[in-house]
Amino acid sequence: MATVEISNIEKFYGAYQALDDINVDIADGEFVVLVGPSGCGKSTLLQMIAGLETISGGELRINGNIVNYLPPKQRDIAMVFQNYALYPHMTVAQNMGFSLRIRREPPDEIRRQVERAAKILNLDQLLERKPRELSGGQRQRVAMGRAIVRQPQVFLFDEPLSNLDAKLRLSMRTEIKELHQRLKTTTIYVTHDQDEAMTMADRIVVMNTGVVSQIGAPLELYDRPTNTFVAGFIGSPAMNFLNGVARAGRFEADNGSVWVLPGDTSVGDGQRCTFGIRPEFLTTGGDVEANVIVTEPTGSETQIVADLGGEHFVCLFSERVPARPGDTLKLSVDPQKCHVFDTDTGLRL
Amino acid sequence: MSTDPRDPGLRKPWNLVLLYKYLVLGFVTLMIIAPLITTALGGFKSAADLRTNPFGLPTVWHWNQYTDILLGIDYWRYMGNSMLISAISVFVTLVCSTLAAFTFAHVKFFGKEFIVGYLMVGLLFPVATAILPLFVKVRDMGLLNTYWGVILPTSAFSLGMSILLMRNMFEKLPRELLSAALVDGCGYVRFFWHITLPLSRPILATVGIIAFVASWNQYVLPLILLNSEERYPWPLGIMEYQGEFTTDWHLILAFVTLTVIPAIIVFLATQKYIVAGLTAGAVKG
Repeated sequence: MATVEISNIEKFYGAYQALDDINVDIADGEFVVLVGPSGCGKSTLLQMIAGLETISGGELRINGNIVNYLPPKQRDIAMVFQNYALYPHMTVAQNMGFSLRIRREPPDEIRRQVERAAKILNLDQLLERKPRELSGGQRQRVAMGRAIVRQPQVFLFDEPLSNLDAKLRLSMRTEIKELHQRLKTTTIYVTHDQDEAMTMADRIVVMNTGVVSQIGAPLELYDRPTNTFVAGFIGSPAMNFLNGVARAGRFEADNGSVWVLPGDTSVGDGQRCTFGIRPEFLTTGGDVEANVIVTEPTGSETQIVADLGGEHFVCLFSERVPARPGDTLKLSVDPQKCHVFDTDTGLRL
Repeated sequence: MSTDPRDPGLRKPWNLVLLYKYLVLGFVTLMIIAPLITTALGGFKSAADLRTNPFGLPTVWHWNQYTDILLGIDYWRYMGNSMLISAISVFVTLVCSTLAAFTFAHVKFFGKEFIVGYLMVGLLFPVATAILPLFVKVRDMGLLNTYWGVILPTSAFSLGMSILLMRNMFEKLPRELLSAALVDGCGYVRFFWHITLPLSRPILATVGIIAFVASWNQYVLPLILLNSEERYPWPLGIMEYQGEFTTDWHLILAFVTLTVIPAIIVFLATQKYIVAGLTAGAVKG
């Protein structure tokens, strides 16, 4: 197990800057998720930690040692790839034991380690199969087994569940989390799925266009996003944003709706700002009126997309709301659960 | 939903396209097989029979023409020489082209694309255009009238196509395999040996067979570079049946038939690899 310190890391591809001044300290045994939209640089950062991409600037330390110029094999890391990257011509056991074979470990030791990892991941019965004879979930478990066998200081996961169907993704998510709780190995996990990030991480690093937008515990990001990007990215369905003006403790939206501002905001009177409301905090029976466009009941909750002064406004109710398209919906929200951002900078006020 | 086979929607229509395909396939097959059969049958005919009846069955089957060749020492010497030259040429071609193709596929270096382009230009030149400088070079290297004098140029002429085919295959291997291997502790050499080569067996077989056939049928190079009959491969052995004023075509046909058989056996045994190698990466697996 190890700490990982990412200090002022930069990545250039020619004149294009893919990563700008990334600073993240990862504690021993921590499970950190890098999350962000496609092209935000999260996979590039993971590849740099693995040693598969060069570092243009800054310092990367694993367990206190600078590893900027060390090849992957000397970093004592293991990586699980999105498309599994299993060696097709080798059996499951050979795949899992390959790194030990390369290290010239004795065959008995390789067999012992492979069997240990196979037991952890319930792969005992599949050791003699080739990857093509396995399902997607089994292949991903083999990829994880290959990582476990090495007993590395750091696990790196590069969107490992993206190729799996929704049901399998949920069960594998639990398996990975259980595995981390069992092995307590420092883990860096890349995903574009904020649900995965929220449910698995000790801390989340939200990235956007090559910079870190916010670092924090999942609920911290959910409760107090520092900017509109994080506020919009974390949470599903995404936060509703309304532009308008703060006036006398109230927010007067450009679409005509009026909302009470939260007490702890530093927004000035008459200042233009952006008001953020999470769909799940909306309740029925308030002063704000919206016209129902679409109702999407899922059984456990009801999602309604409504028209609020010409803008789409998403509401999520845990109770069953018998609204039909065209109905008028009266809405309210607890002001303390709302967020206020500077319209120009996007930063929290 | 109807399951009645009499339902016109469930009946397979008479397929003109399929008929057309079979006709074309039959025609192409005939074009390939007819000369082979004519050659083999010609080997059973007498010289007079061949002149008067070149395409029909032999009037009298002269089995002895085949058995005489097989029992003679010259045939086996020519075949041995051809086999030796071809086998070593294939080995040299495979070793050089896999290493070069791997480098072109995975290592970034200045001038890479230029060198690849240079190799492709080499494909445009037939052996005949290079004969004179090649002869001078082989003579200067002291390799005239040696096996290596034929093997090295033969391999060199196979390299361009082999490298391009292999590079194409190596580049189609998922990039993550290299990443996974690097993380697992491999360098480029181990990745080449443990991962790339085992996954490239179809293309290795394809390149090997193409190089083998090219070398097996090589006529011009041995003709220019070898002058001792002891080292002649089989295409030069045919000259044995050519006199100053007459040519024993019936014996040449028997000889050619016997020399083609090993190449056909090799091809039939490995054809599935050739198809797999030439189509590798055509669709996502």
